[in-house]
Order: sequence, then structure tokens, then C-alpha cells
Amino acid sequence: MVREDSSPWSQKCRCFMLGLVVILMLGIVVIFVTVIFARRRDPPAELPQWKGGGTTHNLKEIILGRCFTYIRMVNPGLRKDCLKIWETFENAFISKNPCNITEQDYQPLMELAAHPILCNKTLLWSKTNELAHQYTKVQGSLLTLEDTLLGYMADKVTWCGSPSSTEMNYQSCPRWNECTNNSNTIYWKMASKIFAEAACGVVYVMLNGSISQPFRNSSIFGSVEIHHLNPEKVPLVKIWVMHNIEEQSSDSCSDSSIKDLKSIIEGRNIAFSCENDHRDVQFIQCVRNPEQKACRICGTDH
Amino acid sequence: MQELQFLGATGCKPHCREEILRARNSSMEPSKLVLLQLKLFLILLLGAAGVCMGAGEKLWKGLGTTPHLESIFRGRCNEFISLENPELGDKNCSEIWEAFKTVFHKDPCSVLPSDYDLFINLSRHPIPRDKSLFWENNYDVVTAYAQNGRRLLPITNMLYGRIVDLLDWCRKENSSELDYQSCPTTEDCENNAMDSFWKKASSQYAYDSSGVIYVMLNGSEPSGAYPVKGFFADYEIPNFQKDKVTRFVIWVMHEIGQPHIESCGEGSMKILENRLKEMEFKYECINDYRPVKLLKCLDYSTHPECVFTSAAESTQQRIPFLFGGGWGSSLAFLLFFFGINFRNSILTF
Repeated sequence: MVREDSSPWSQKCRCFMLGLVVILMLGIVVIFVTVIFARRRDPPAELPQWKGGGTTHNLKEIILGRCFTYIRMVNPGLRKDCLKIWETFENAFISKNPCNITEQDYQPLMELAAHPILCNKTLLWSKTNELAHQYTKVQGSLLTLEDTLLGYMADKVTWCGSPSSTEMNYQSCPRWNECTNNSNTIYWKMASKIFAEAACGVVYVMLNGSISQPFRNSSIFGSVEIHHLNPEKVPLVKIWVMHNIEEQSSDSCSDSSIKDLKSIIEGRNIAFSCENDHRDVQFIQCVRNPEQKACRICGTDH
Repeated sequence: MQELQFLGATGCKPHCREEILRARNSSMEPSKLVLLQLKLFLILLLGAAGVCMGAGEKLWKGLGTTPHLESIFRGRCNEFISLENPELGDKNCSEIWEAFKTVFHKDPCSVLPSDYDLFINLSRHPIPRDKSLFWENNYDVVTAYAQNGRRLLPITNMLYGRIVDLLDWCRKENSSELDYQSCPTTEDCENNAMDSFWKKASSQYAYDSSGVIYVMLNGSEPSGAYPVKGFFADYEIPNFQKDKVTRFVIWVMHEIGQPHIESCGEGSMKILENRLKEMEFKYECINDYRPVKLLKCLDYSTHPECVFTSAAESTQQRIPFLFGGGWGSSLAFLLFFFGINFRNSILTF
């Protein structure tokens, strides 16, 4: 119904209002189109499905807690900025393809968190994970990589990022056999290299004599650590080949793989010695098997 | 005194120094000079005392709060749950921290065990049967033997024990901040944050234990293997549940190369035995339980108490043939014991 009293002013006002509404509607349409277009260009970030377990939950809290515990209680006097270490650690792998991690990615972290170790205290190990760590925890003076800050923080945790996200991937992370340059493997390779380079004095090595090849070129020990010991700082490498306590002690020091190890070490101008079933380490094995013949103590039979 | 007005707790301020110099430069009688010097000395003394108070004097006998307490707390809590015990995934470490923090609302000498009730309720979890390990004066060997809960579960391998193990915490006397300089010990006051924590935690741990109860005591401890006043005696024993506990197995360990002050059945061990038997618990006691002894031997591998018999046995068998049994073989054993020691010390090199 046409209003009889429409003045020229209210007509202009109505035009104006109409124009405004049209512009508003056009604006909404434009925004709508942009959004759809944008979404089509960047599909919702889908995390890649890897075969290994995802990033450990609450990784940041765990790593920070470990860092502070390490500098306060495990190695008091070591001055490190734990918050900065966490940031640098995260930046190494966040938003990156976890199969394409490089040493450069971790270099800043390695520089921040590396610290010197005392001479004659280094214990390397291969295929003797549990025994080597039980030994250092009880004996208290030798150090494995996991007793240094870099190893202590990352021990038994998993982490990876993904290129389509700024978050860590909690669903899955690549396993070693899916891609070798993954976030975890590169970290441990670099940390092992640094640990070996920092070693000075006599270096001890715990190997497993109860497996077919106590020394393997493919292990981190065989492929990284042994080649980064500095002959100017390390005069001697002492190998302890441990056997399962229930077995008869065999002479694994004459094993062909140990002979290979000997030539590698001596080829680098470092002296080599080998001992089967080092007694101090046997005590740890005996705790679990006190009835074994090798474990009976003189004069205290119970 | 005019000078004191300018001082406060931070010592002599610049403008007061000027006043003193001006006063010195003007001609002064000797007695006035001496008086002025005395005043200066007093000012310095008060200033120094002020600095001491301001900088945080050690009020208590114990170590101050561990730096980064919250981070370490949360880290350990998350590690225990996410990494080691995912079946406890319903527990929330932030909630647990908030519950723990409530004790900082109270004065450092007014914290009661019941102040940790909520914290314990949130962090409590079941203890598998036959896995509890109680102890006194044996922290290092208990930690080593328990193997982070794989062999046995002492209180420090429970969530509530692990979170605070070896940490110190307390609030300042007159402020809501944490005291990083010092914290009260039992000598300072009974109701301090840490003692009250361990009283509550120990009570809960004993209450939740079932099956065989293992106890490791130190028979080389001069004050006795079983402390008649201590956490085990006062907070753990009273809380064992008769219907859940099958028996007690006590290991009295002695330090290698140190005197055996007490062994099973002697001194305070007799008191413990009587107490547990009166409570109608089954009781068993072993001196120097071998697996634990073997662990202690790691640091003393060439000590006579730790020498392996494998070498001794083969030689010992030959001797009775020569000397006959009894006294003769003991003598022979002694002779060979020294001989083997000598041989073994060569072998270790």
C-alpha cells in the first residue's frame, strides 16, 4: 500500500536504507563465497596415519619436569634454561614432515642442552639396555647417554609433528622402518654422536654375549658412537661382554664380531680390551637369580 | 638520631653520607668525633642487620623449597601416569597439584596430615598384593632393589610418593609465597608441611597394602634396626589391615664391612617381633637377605663378604680329603679363603 504522506525526504531515506540492505547482503554473499573457496583450497587438516604410537601425552610437562629435576637433583650445578630448551626442542619438529627431519633441525637444541662429562665415566651399550641402566643407577658413577640431560629428557618418550598442523601428532608417529629420518631417530643419533665426542679417558662398553652378534655395525653404537670417539681424548675402550647368568660363561671376546670391533677401534688409534662377564655387572644379574652357581657368596649362604 | 632517619634497611644512603662528611669537615671537638664514630658504627651494624633480614634469613633448620617445585611436580605426575601407568589415565595432574597447593594457605608450622586428605584421595591407587616394601634407614638400597616398581613398590614408587620424593616445600611465615631459604624440620615444629605429608602418605600406604608385607631394616644402625619412634612404628604398623595382610617378612641388612649391631631376634628386633605377634600377625625374619646383599656387594666386589664361592668351592672340595671333616676343613677353608682373595684381586685387573 502506497503511503499518501510520503515526503521527498522519507523517500530518499527509504532509498538509502534499501541501498544499505543490498550492500549488506552483497557483503554476506562475498564472505560466504570466500569461506567456501578458502575451505576448498585448504581442506581440513588431516593427520597422516603412521604405524607407531603417537606423541606421549603431556610431553611438555614431562620434559620440563625432567629438565628441572636433572639440573637441580641429578646434576646439580648445571646451569640450563629449561623453558628455552623446551621451546627449542619443540621448534625442531613442530609443523614439519616427521619423515624429513634433519640434523640442522636439532642443532640449536643440541647446543643448548649438551654439557661436559667427567673423564673415565662413559658407558656405551648395545643390546643391554636394562642391564646397563640398572648398573649405572646402582653403581652411581658411570654414565650412559640416558644419564645426561639430552638422554634423560627424551628417554622412553615419543614425539612428532605434522606439516599441516602446529600441534604435536598425538595419534601416531612414524616407526623406524617407515622412514629412517624421523623425529626420534635423528634426535638419538645426534645425541649419541655428541655423547661419544664428549667422552674422555677410558670408555666402557657393555655388549650382549648371549645374542648371535654381540657387535653390530647397524646399531647406534656400531654406526655412530664408535666412530665419534676422539682418539686424542680416549686412550682405551674396555668392552664388557655380558652373558645371561643362567648360561655357561663363554668366551665371546673371541667372537668374530668382537674381532671386527677390535680392528675398528685399533684402526682409529685407540687401545682395546675385552672382558667376559665383568664381575660388578654380574652382581646386578645375580640379584634376580641368586641361586645361580655364579652368584654364591663365600660364607653367607642362606 | 638524624642519620638513622635516612637509612631504612639498606644501609647508608648517599645523602646521609654527605651529611656525615660535612659534619666531619667542620671543626669538631675530639669527644664529639668519638661520639660520631660510635654513631656510624651503630648505623652500619643496624644496616647490616637490616640487609640480613631483608635478604631472607634462614628461619628454619631444613632445606628451602625445591626450585621449580610445580614443574617438577607436574612432570613427575604426568610421567607416572602417561608413560608408566596409563591405566591411571583418569587422574588429572592439574587437579592433584591444586589439591597439594592448599597446604600453602596455612602457616608453615600449622600443617596437619589431614590437610593432605584431598591430595591423597586424588592420587591414591591400588597396590598389587605382596608388593609393598617398608623400610627404615635404607633409602638407597631400597630404591635400587625396588627397580622403579618392577620388583617391589615402596612408597616412593606410588604416585603420591614419587611426585614429592626428595623434594622440600613450605610456605613463608608471614606471606603466601613459598620459602626457598629454609623449611621447618621436626625439631623446629611438629606440624610442618613435609612431616605431615609423610605421616598421611605412610598411613595410607600401609592401609592399602595386602598380602606379604616386606620390611627392610638396617642392622648396622647404631640406634637399633627398628626405630621404636618413626614412620614405620607410628604411622605404618597401626594402619595395617588384619584381614588383608598374610604375613610380615623382615630383612635385617648389615652394611658391608661394618659391625652387626643388631640381627634378627636381638634388641629392637625383639621389640618389633613381639609387637607384630601381639597384633596376631605371622612373622618371619631373615638376616642379610641374599638378593639385597648381592646388590650391596656391587660397591664392594673384592670385599671378603662379597667374594663369589665358585672359585672357593672347587678348591674346598679337595681339602676335607686331606684333613678330615670338622675343625680341619674350617682351617683349610680359611687358608684357601685368603688364597682365593689374592687370586681374585689379580683377576679383577
